[in-house]
Amino acid sequence: MKKFVNNPENFVPEFMAGVIAANGDLLEAIPEFQLIKRKNVDASKVAIVQGSGSGHEPAHVMAVGPGMLTAACQGPVFAAPPVDACLETIKSVATDAGVLVLVNNYQGDRMAWDMASEMAEAEGIKVVQFHINDDVAVQDSLYTVGRRGVAGNFFVMKACGAAAEAGASLEEVVAIAEKVNNNVRTMGVALTSCIPPAKGDPIFDIGDDEMEVGVGIHGEPGRERTKMKSAAEITKILYDAVQSDLPFSSGDRVALMVNGLGGTPPAELYVVYNEAAKLAGETGLTIARNYVGEYCTAIEMAGCSLTMLKLDDELEKLLDAPAQTACRIF
Amino acid sequence: MSTLTIDQIVEAIDITCDTVIRNEKYFSDLDGLAGDGDFGTSLATGFKVIKAELPEIDKSAVGAMLLKISMICSKHVGGSSGPIWGTGFMRGGMVAKGLEEVNYQQLTDMVGSAIEGIVARGGAKRGDKTLLDALWPIHEKMQEMDGSDLGAVLAAVTAEADKAIDATRSSVAHRGRASQVGERSANTPDPGIVGIATILYDWCKHYGVDYTPNAAELNR
Repeated sequence: MKKFVNNPENFVPEFMAGVIAANGDLLEAIPEFQLIKRKNVDASKVAIVQGSGSGHEPAHVMAVGPGMLTAACQGPVFAAPPVDACLETIKSVATDAGVLVLVNNYQGDRMAWDMASEMAEAEGIKVVQFHINDDVAVQDSLYTVGRRGVAGNFFVMKACGAAAEAGASLEEVVAIAEKVNNNVRTMGVALTSCIPPAKGDPIFDIGDDEMEVGVGIHGEPGRERTKMKSAAEITKILYDAVQSDLPFSSGDRVALMVNGLGGTPPAELYVVYNEAAKLAGETGLTIARNYVGEYCTAIEMAGCSLTMLKLDDELEKLLDAPAQTACRIF
Repeated sequence: MSTLTIDQIVEAIDITCDTVIRNEKYFSDLDGLAGDGDFGTSLATGFKVIKAELPEIDKSAVGAMLLKISMICSKHVGGSSGPIWGTGFMRGGMVAKGLEEVNYQQLTDMVGSAIEGIVARGGAKRGDKTLLDALWPIHEKMQEMDGSDLGAVLAAVTAEADKAIDATRSSVAHRGRASQVGERSANTPDPGIVGIATILYDWCKHYGVDYTPNAAELNR
């Protein structure tokens, strides 16, 4: 393993310290809880928080900023944050308008946030929890009952963040989360494995000529292990799975995301986007907004996921709203 | 009606730590029969931290103390046991919020609330072969009794947990990791139920309450 690491145990805190060092104007940290929050939280607006294992950057702590998350905490690589960190995240930004907790559907994350939300409520904080489950690949998985939450998470954060910034009530922001989650679908593919710094070895084995179709963002198995195919063929597998699931139909306006899983260069993501855009055209979809880059990764896994969100005027306006985060690409 | 002071509750938790730590390998071996074999280690890892931090924990109120224990559980007990046990302590702590001692009715309500929380967290039903199959009859027995003799209550609830070991032994697990092996979980005791029974039996021994166990897992 070759990585930029000092001591693997300090990897997550040191990465967070770097984010703060680079974004001192926007963000501050509470290192004890591996938590990053916005400076100058507006008490009249709904706060939006999230937190899960590290290794998915820029999700989730790098998605904190005006128009996006108000705060986020993270656990060790690929492991849920502890309950006290989740509770502190809620408390650190709790506003009169209330707190929306966005949780990607994984058992570990859900249980930690369930407990933290209950404790926060007992302290008189208004909290609503919302679960994101956009991955069409598998119904249940290694770490979930039900579908997994993956890159579609970005659209929930973005739309809810914009609504909260515009002064929407907690109930209204929750309704936005529901609308996005009901209309967003994702599927991913892995070409290589990934190496958690503390583990030092690849998390699963995969042959040079193989790919994992429907892979999870922690390297969990997907639908099938097959031989490598061309970019056009792979994109069609992902697109068909996503398109048929909602389904997206002729005349729909969509946001289309090609998300890199960490180890695939931007140029390859655009090759995939080009194929996906052609397929969307064949279906009769209008791509109103596109996103090509890294939004939700699995450390340095080579691979990508394809996400589509069916838009209406309200969602389109929310996606158009300005936002500023640590990675400055949102 | 008897009451328990915060110091008495701390003592019971300290004994519980000893029980869990001493049985680390045994509970994991039981879990290995149908689950993933980490139950004993997961639990012991967390209870070692509780044992170490117990002397320094804020003991101004039962509720605050139990919430702290809950935090340690959820942070240091691995797997799904962390949130499950953490929720139990959290819910108990919420009932005992601000109390410097708890009476029998409050103690019974703490157990009831802990059960409600664990059900909400894990979604288990009666007969799913989880630790709740020990906790439900314990709570019902507590509700039946008047609590004037806490020793008698302890013997009675230990008997309920003891019975639960054999009552669920032949059934197939429907929740937790053991549910994934289907029929293979039949004819193995549930480690969570054995854990509860072992803790209570050790309390009996510590407090000088006579109890003769039936299940093989308590007669080792």
